Amino acid sequence: MNNDINVKALQRNCFRQSKVPGEFMLQMRVPGGVIPAKYLEVATHIAETWGDGNFHIGTRQTLDFPGIKYESIPAVNAYIQEYIEGVETELSGVDMNQIAHEPHEWDPKSGYPTIGARNVTACIGNVHCICGNINTQEMARKVEQLIFPSNYHIKVNVAGCPNDCIKANMCDFGIIGVAKIDFHPDRCIGCGACVRQCKAASTRVLMSGPNGLPIKDDCCCVGCGECVRVCPASAWTRNPKKFYRVILGGRTGRQTPRAGKMFLNWATEEVVLGVLKNWQKFSAWALDYKPVYLHGGHLIDRAGYHKFKEIILEGVELNPECQVAEQMFWAETEWRSNFNVKFPEDHLTAGPGSNNGGH
Amino acid sequence: MGYRLNKEQSNALFAKLSEKYDIYAPKRFPKQGRYSDTDVIKYDKVTSFDEVEYTEKSTYPMKEVLNPVHQTLFYFNDEDYHEAVKNLRPMLIIGRACDINAQKIQERIFLGNGFHEDAYYRRRHDMAKFVLMECNGGTDTCFCVSMNANKTDDYVFGLKFSENGLEIESKDAEFEPYFSEYEKEDFKVKFVEDNQLTVTPPVIPDKEVLNALKKHPMWKEYDARCISCGACTMACSTCTCFTTRDVVYTENADNGERRRVSASCQVAGFDQMAGQREMRPTAGDRMRYKVLHKFHAYDARFHEGPMCVGCGRCTDHCPQFIALSATVNKMSKAVEEIMKEQGKEC
Repeated sequence: MNNDINVKALQRNCFRQSKVPGEFMLQMRVPGGVIPAKYLEVATHIAETWGDGNFHIGTRQTLDFPGIKYESIPAVNAYIQEYIEGVETELSGVDMNQIAHEPHEWDPKSGYPTIGARNVTACIGNVHCICGNINTQEMARKVEQLIFPSNYHIKVNVAGCPNDCIKANMCDFGIIGVAKIDFHPDRCIGCGACVRQCKAASTRVLMSGPNGLPIKDDCCCVGCGECVRVCPASAWTRNPKKFYRVILGGRTGRQTPRAGKMFLNWATEEVVLGVLKNWQKFSAWALDYKPVYLHGGHLIDRAGYHKFKEIILEGVELNPECQVAEQMFWAETEWRSNFNVKFPEDHLTAGPGSNNGGH
Repeated sequence: MGYRLNKEQSNALFAKLSEKYDIYAPKRFPKQGRYSDTDVIKYDKVTSFDEVEYTEKSTYPMKEVLNPVHQTLFYFNDEDYHEAVKNLRPMLIIGRACDINAQKIQERIFLGNGFHEDAYYRRRHDMAKFVLMECNGGTDTCFCVSMNANKTDDYVFGLKFSENGLEIESKDAEFEPYFSEYEKEDFKVKFVEDNQLTVTPPVIPDKEVLNALKKHPMWKEYDARCISCGACTMACSTCTCFTTRDVVYTENADNGERRRVSASCQVAGFDQMAGQREMRPTAGDRMRYKVLHKFHAYDARFHEGPMCVGCGRCTDHCPQFIALSATVNKMSKAVEEIMKEQGKEC
């Protein structure tokens, strides 16, 4: 086996290095986690012709094919042209002849041009889910147009509602569909279903007022829409205008995993997409135009939140309802110090005979 | 005698009628549904043909026009009170045969139950005339034919809606002048003759069978399935239950108004008495009460058939997919079983 293989170039081409020398795993993008079922035949063909016969459902909703031999890669790339054009160009409206918004001709037989902007994941959203507030697939595809192809890394997850099954709280840029809720007092029968549901399943912003009518603490409403879902009389309805919450800087990882923090609340689609449009510019500035395999959240750490905010909001006209985080109070799990997990005899204690750690 | 109107003429007719009448019809409220990007269709005032939603069954029933979810009865202060009497304009309410038949049941409860007429209902009722809308055949939850509610004679004129406009069956001479300028056509509203669904309410011959039915295990199913939300009764064309509420004005607690507000026998606490005792503490108990009331007790009291017109809105609106039609048919089977056990002939 001739092992002279440029694995970094293959990684950019969406072929992941295997522990088996000369074997790779292809990762095919599925923006928004949904593709027409006909593409499963494409997947079957790839796995059975060039892969090891299996396919792996990628952790970011990609279709992954392990066991692809290095020698097969040109044939695989030529074959997936149909898939890339079908899913990226036709379904998602992506311009493949650019990288990070700069013109760059794509050879359709060469496979994926970049791995940088990672697959945009989404829950099934309101096309199916009884809780979802937004069409997550449409949103994911609009995001795909803005962030792919690019060599700058960003993970975007699109959640239909604050229940966040897709974990928008754990990625660089999490988008959560939220609803402004309208109350129609002339339809409320005072049954209390909304108050109970908000307490049991959401943020307890509804209280039972006189006659059992709900009183709402607007400040802490997360816009989940559970009150609408359980109301028997349509006394609560979702405002038809769509709103989004953006969660910033969440991540997993060995060193500093953390849940993201709220960056924007009650932003319109226009604002969310306007902000994402600036992502390439921010990444380019932070990395001085030299892309490395480093996710966006880390770039915010390096640049500092205020610098990030300055670049990312440039030219974005915020809708009147939109709120922006003034500061970021990150709360990271500091694996490197493990300051909190120690042998019981080292625990600091209170009271008689307490261990005060030598102070 | 009938007429045919194009869209423009239909809008002109609605405008003309609106000069004298408040027209109520099913109207679509986009994106106000229970689930995201779903709509609600409810009765509302319309002034044009274009506003009427005629292709789909309304989510909420026609009863809301004459028996609103909230209705102020009187205003009070610490010394005095006065009745809330609205200067109502004459109303035209557009509905299908089942909807109009449902109002007969509403009338029976509000105006013909015992010795006392409900003045608030009477006031609205006397101002209203029904306009029949030809039904496009309904949906798979409809069973108006089984309930004998597919036909009516109580309408002042009939309409068939289509994307091209209206076809009109002129009936009451009073309205003839509104149509006479338009193209004449032989037209009569057709009634639905068949539903996909057939519902056969049981005949409960005596107390012994009734008592056995009340204890039948079939009701247990609903303890696990029904969430007691009351959506079925809000969507019901015939349910009339209400409670009274005093709304006290926050800036001056001596002032306020008394309203009646729709209530649901399915919501826990509906039958709670002094001492906190509830007569029907489980979802199954409440379901049994509702179904027996509609398909046995009402007829036993008035001898006018079931308190149901088979519009199917309760089934459509149930978030747990409990079908009233299936429940009634299960009940009929249970009655058969019971009668066999008791050695009685069906």
